[in-house]
Amino acid sequence: MSRDFWVVFRYELRRNARRIGYLFASFALPLLLIVGLFAYQSILARDLAAQDPQEMAEAVSETFGGDLTAAGFVDFSGLIQAVPDDAAAFMRRYDTVEAGETALTAGEIQVFYIVQADYMETGRIEIVQPTFGLGQLMEQPIVSLLMDAMTEHVEGDRRFRLLDPSNTTFTNLQLTTLGEGSSDDLEGGAFLVVYVFAITLTLSLFMTNGYMMQTVIEEKETRLVEILIATVRPGDLLGGKILAMGLLGLFQVVAWVATLFAAVALAGGSGLADTVGVIGTLANIQISPSILPVLLAYFVLAYLLFAGFYAIISAISNSMREGPQYAVIFTIPAMLPLYFIQAFTTDPNGALPTILSLVPITAPMAMIQRLAVTSVPPLEILISLALLAATVVAVMWLAGRIFRVGVLLAGNMPRLRDIPRLVRG
Amino acid sequence: MNHRTAVTVEHISKSYGSFQAVSDLSFEVFTGEIFALLGPNGAGKSTTIRMILDILKPDTGKIAVLGAPLNDQAKDRIGYLPEERGLYRGVPVLEMMVYLGSLKGMSASAARRGSMALLERLELAEHARKKVSELSKGMQQKVQFAVTVLHDPDLIIIDEPFSGLDPVNTLVVKDLLLDFAKRGKGVIMSTHQMHQIEEMADRLLMIDKGRQALYGTVEEVRQGFALPAVRVEGKGDWASIKAVDHIEMPENGRGEVVLYLKPAATPDMVLGEIASRSDLFIRSFELAVPSLSEIFVAVVQNRPNGKRNGNA
Repeated sequence: MSRDFWVVFRYELRRNARRIGYLFASFALPLLLIVGLFAYQSILARDLAAQDPQEMAEAVSETFGGDLTAAGFVDFSGLIQAVPDDAAAFMRRYDTVEAGETALTAGEIQVFYIVQADYMETGRIEIVQPTFGLGQLMEQPIVSLLMDAMTEHVEGDRRFRLLDPSNTTFTNLQLTTLGEGSSDDLEGGAFLVVYVFAITLTLSLFMTNGYMMQTVIEEKETRLVEILIATVRPGDLLGGKILAMGLLGLFQVVAWVATLFAAVALAGGSGLADTVGVIGTLANIQISPSILPVLLAYFVLAYLLFAGFYAIISAISNSMREGPQYAVIFTIPAMLPLYFIQAFTTDPNGALPTILSLVPITAPMAMIQRLAVTSVPPLEILISLALLAATVVAVMWLAGRIFRVGVLLAGNMPRLRDIPRLVRG
Repeated sequence: MNHRTAVTVEHISKSYGSFQAVSDLSFEVFTGEIFALLGPNGAGKSTTIRMILDILKPDTGKIAVLGAPLNDQAKDRIGYLPEERGLYRGVPVLEMMVYLGSLKGMSASAARRGSMALLERLELAEHARKKVSELSKGMQQKVQFAVTVLHDPDLIIIDEPFSGLDPVNTLVVKDLLLDFAKRGKGVIMSTHQMHQIEEMADRLLMIDKGRQALYGTVEEVRQGFALPAVRVEGKGDWASIKAVDHIEMPENGRGEVVLYLKPAATPDMVLGEIASRSDLFIRSFELAVPSLSEIFVAVVQNRPNGKRNGNA
C-alpha cells in the first residue's frame, strides 16, 4: 500500500466518522431501537399477565382513555357456564342479540360480543361496538372469559401454559446453534440470525458504501477529483476510501452487536429475557465457532464486492440523485435469496439454494440461509468463497479502471458501449 | 533563463472514438519560464494537460516530466489547478489544505505551517478554520491557488489562474507565479486572457483542433504576424506620405491610424518623412504588430493576415 493510500484512508476515516448521520446510526439508533423494544415488550408482558377479564378490561379501558366500564355478551356456544365473580360487574350476559344491542345503544355497555354457536369449530366471535375500535385488544375480555371456561378443570402451570403457549417456543430455542441446525430451527433463532445478518449487511452496505458514493460524487461534482487523481493513483484513492468505509461499517456492526449484548444483559438482569421475545431469543442463540470465520469471510467479501459496484456507479454517476438509483441494479439481486426463503426452508441443499449460494452476488445471503438450517459440505463453502473472492478481485480491477476515467466524465452518463473504452482508459 | 526542460512532449496523439482530440503534438517547457498554452475551446488543451499529468494515456507519442516519464515521486513535484475546480465544501479550509498537502508528501505539521503562511500572504488567515462553503467565490479561488502551490512544486500547471479574481488578487497571484518562475520552477499557464500572456509568458503554444498552430516566444509569434505597416497617433494628411500605400483607421477610439507601406518601403522611410515635414505631427509611432488577441482570432478563423512564424 502506498503512502497516498493511507493518507486517503486516514482522512476519509476521520471525516466520515464525524458525520452526524453515521454517529446517529451507530450509537443513537440501536439504543433507541432497544429502548423501544423494551417499552413495547414490557407493555406486552404486562398485558399477557393480565389474563383476568376484569384486568384485561382495564387494559382495554386504558387504551380507550378510560371510557370502557362494561361489556356484554351473548353465548350461543354454551361454553361459558358462569361469569367469575370478580368479572361479573364488567361482563354482563344477555340472552339475545337484541337485548345486548339495546344495552349498547343505551350506553349501558361499550362493547357487545356475540359468541357464535359453532365457536368451537370456527372460533367465530362477532364484536359490536358503537364506533370503530382497536379489534385486537377489544376481543381480549371475551377471549379470556372463553379461555377461563375451557380451562376450568386444568390446574396450575398447565392452565397458564394453555393461556400463554407461545412461551414454549422461547424455551425450545435455548439450544439453537447456527451451523449445526436442522430445518426446524428456521422457525426460531437461526431464522432470526439470517435476518440479523441480512439487515446488518444491508444497512452496513448501504450506509458506508453510500458515504463512499457521496464522497466520490462530491469530488466529481466539485471537480476536485481531477486534482486528486493528478496526485494519487486512482487505485489508491479508491482503496483508501473503501478500507476507511469498511472499517467504519465494521465498527458500526460491532456497536450494534455490543448494544444488543448490553440489552440482553440488561434483559437478563431484569428478568425480562423470558418474556421479551426477540431479546430472549437472541440471548439463547449460540453461534458455532467453526461458522464464525465463514460468516466473517462472507461479510468482508460481500462488503468489498459492493464497494466495487458502488465505486463503478460513483464514477459514472453525475449526482447524488443518480447514484442510489443505479445501485439498485446490484442490491436487488443480492437480496434475491430472501425472496426464495421457502425453497431454503423446504430443501436447503436443493438446486436453487445451491446455485444461489454459488453465484457470487447472491452467495452471501444464500449461504447464510443454508447454514442456518442445514450442514453445507465444506467444499461447497470453499468453492462459493473462492468464486466470490475471484469476483471481488475482478470487480475491484474493473472499478479501478472505470474510476480512472469515469470520474472525469461530467454531464453525460456513459452509454453501455462506452464502458470498454473507459476500461481501456 | 535556465534551459533545463520541465516537460518534453513528443508527437502525442489522442482520440476519443472518431474524434481526434490531439494530433501529433510536440513541444517543450523549460524550467524557470512561464509557458502559455492557448487555443479555442475544445482545441485539445485540457486533454494535453491530462496526458502530461498521466490522467489520460496518449494513443501515441512520449511525454517526460521533470526529466523522466511521470512517476509517483514526480507527481509530488507538480502543482495542478484545472479550469473546472472545486474544494470540499463542508470541510474547514486548513483541514482540507493539510489533507491535500499530505497527499503531496508533506508532513501534517509542515502542511499546516505552509498553509498558514500562504493563507497569510493571500490575506485569508482569519478564514483558515471556516468551512469552504462559508467563503466567497474569490476567496475560494485563492484557496484553490494556495492548495496548488502549497508543496512548493517544481512544475505548476494552472488553467485560467485569474478567473474569478478581482484586480488586486489578480496582481497577488500574478506576482506569485512570476516569483515561482524566477525561482527556477516551470509554469504552464492556460488562459484566454491574452494580455496576461503578453505580460507574463516567455513562450507560448497555441493549439487549434488538436494540432500545433503557433509555437515560440511571445515576441517571435507577434513578429511573425507583423504587418507591412506602422501605427501612428497624431495629426496630418497621412496618405500624402510617399512610402504609404493606403491607410486604415481602426475604430478603437484612440485616434490611431495604420499606414500600410508600399512594396520596398520601410518604416524608417515613413518616420524620416514625418520628421522632415512640418504639417505632420505624431504623438506615437510603432510597428503594426498585432496583439496576441488579434493573432488568436486570426488563427482560429483561419484568416492569416501576415506572414507566419517559422515555427508555427
